Amino acid sequence: MSVPFSGTLSRSGGIVSAIGKQLKSVNLKGVKRITVQFDPFAENVKSTREFLFLLSTPKVSQTNPKCVVKPDIVCDRSPALIKFALIDSAQEKAKVKEIRFNSENLNTLELLQLCNKHVSALAPPEEVANKVLTKAEKQKLGGGGKKVIKKK
Amino acid sequence: MSNLIKQGLPLASARAPLVQFVRFRGKINIQRPKEPHYERARVVAVTQPKYPEPPKALTCFQSRAERLGTQVENPYNAIIAREVRNWLDHSKLVAIFHLNSIMADELFRVRVQLHKQNMHLKSYGRKIIAQAVAGTQYEAIMPLFHSNHCIVFSPDQHRVAALLRLTRKVPQMVLLGGIVENTLLSRNELMDFAQMPGLQVAQAQLVQTLNMAAGNVVQQLQAHQCNLVKVLDVHAKSDAATEPTNETQS
Repeated sequence: MSVPFSGTLSRSGGIVSAIGKQLKSVNLKGVKRITVQFDPFAENVKSTREFLFLLSTPKVSQTNPKCVVKPDIVCDRSPALIKFALIDSAQEKAKVKEIRFNSENLNTLELLQLCNKHVSALAPPEEVANKVLTKAEKQKLGGGGKKVIKKK
Repeated sequence: MSNLIKQGLPLASARAPLVQFVRFRGKINIQRPKEPHYERARVVAVTQPKYPEPPKALTCFQSRAERLGTQVENPYNAIIAREVRNWLDHSKLVAIFHLNSIMADELFRVRVQLHKQNMHLKSYGRKIIAQAVAGTQYEAIMPLFHSNHCIVFSPDQHRVAALLRLTRKVPQMVLLGGIVENTLLSRNELMDFAQMPGLQVAQAQLVQTLNMAAGNVVQQLQAHQCNLVKVLDVHAKSDAATEPTNETQS
């Protein structure tokens, strides 16, 4: 009697590749401003600092160049806080003005997952700009009937 | 064979040397070797090296810590830790920054600007800083090194204002805290320290405050006399003003 197969066929790459995978799908188009507030001497700020670093990478910041990431250092041992101020269309979609994460008890992967779940989902859909046709494509579309052979 | 064995002086031989070419320009074959002869194969099989395998039963149930415990820590770490401790002891100003993603040439530009102000930008690994700082008075700065960071050392503490001015232009460097004259300061305290006037100014203010008590008493004693003198002055001036007008009228 053989036991039916249970489990995974491929192994996970570890937490680092999970973070990388989440980072690829981060989209900040729906955000006006991100404020990362933490006290460097408080406990459990490592994930917040890592999240701040990941948001400052070129790949993430280029999803929305207008979005400003502002680090806010406080000195009163208050728990770490991340605020996403949404743009108007995103505000209508989500019916809130800003999204807040209390990142004291969340690790970096969870922060990114929540960010993708709540913030990246509010990004406005991309408009397809008018495509510039090449000569060959234009001929294919329009000049199917008439093919003028120029003899020089 | 006999024509190879030379008798007499080697240079005296008139015959050309027997040279046999084994290979000319042809490529050697190593990818499809010929199967060796049985005898040769037997010798090769016997002479294959046999390495002793570590008995798995010993290490099978050992935890990772025990298995890695036999590894020796690199002594270079101790040298770098000593360097860090040296920097911490000999700089009057130590500022620690969180470093966001930054281009290397921008960081270099900042490093050059800081160097012109006699400030040194450095960065070390967390384990090495922990080793350098363990058991000393600097142990409190450890929580600042959990993420990407950089440290600025300066041998004189009056450069805080210059440091803040330069790093304000760099949005990727976020000031977390610092040590000034063996005192750990938070970010707000460091910024207040930069705003504070120098030691001599503070001393002058103290002297002024101390003298204020005695000065107050003297001022109050002389108040009435001063008042009288002022009133008489005003009166005298107004008299002097009216006299010429009277003379001109009359």
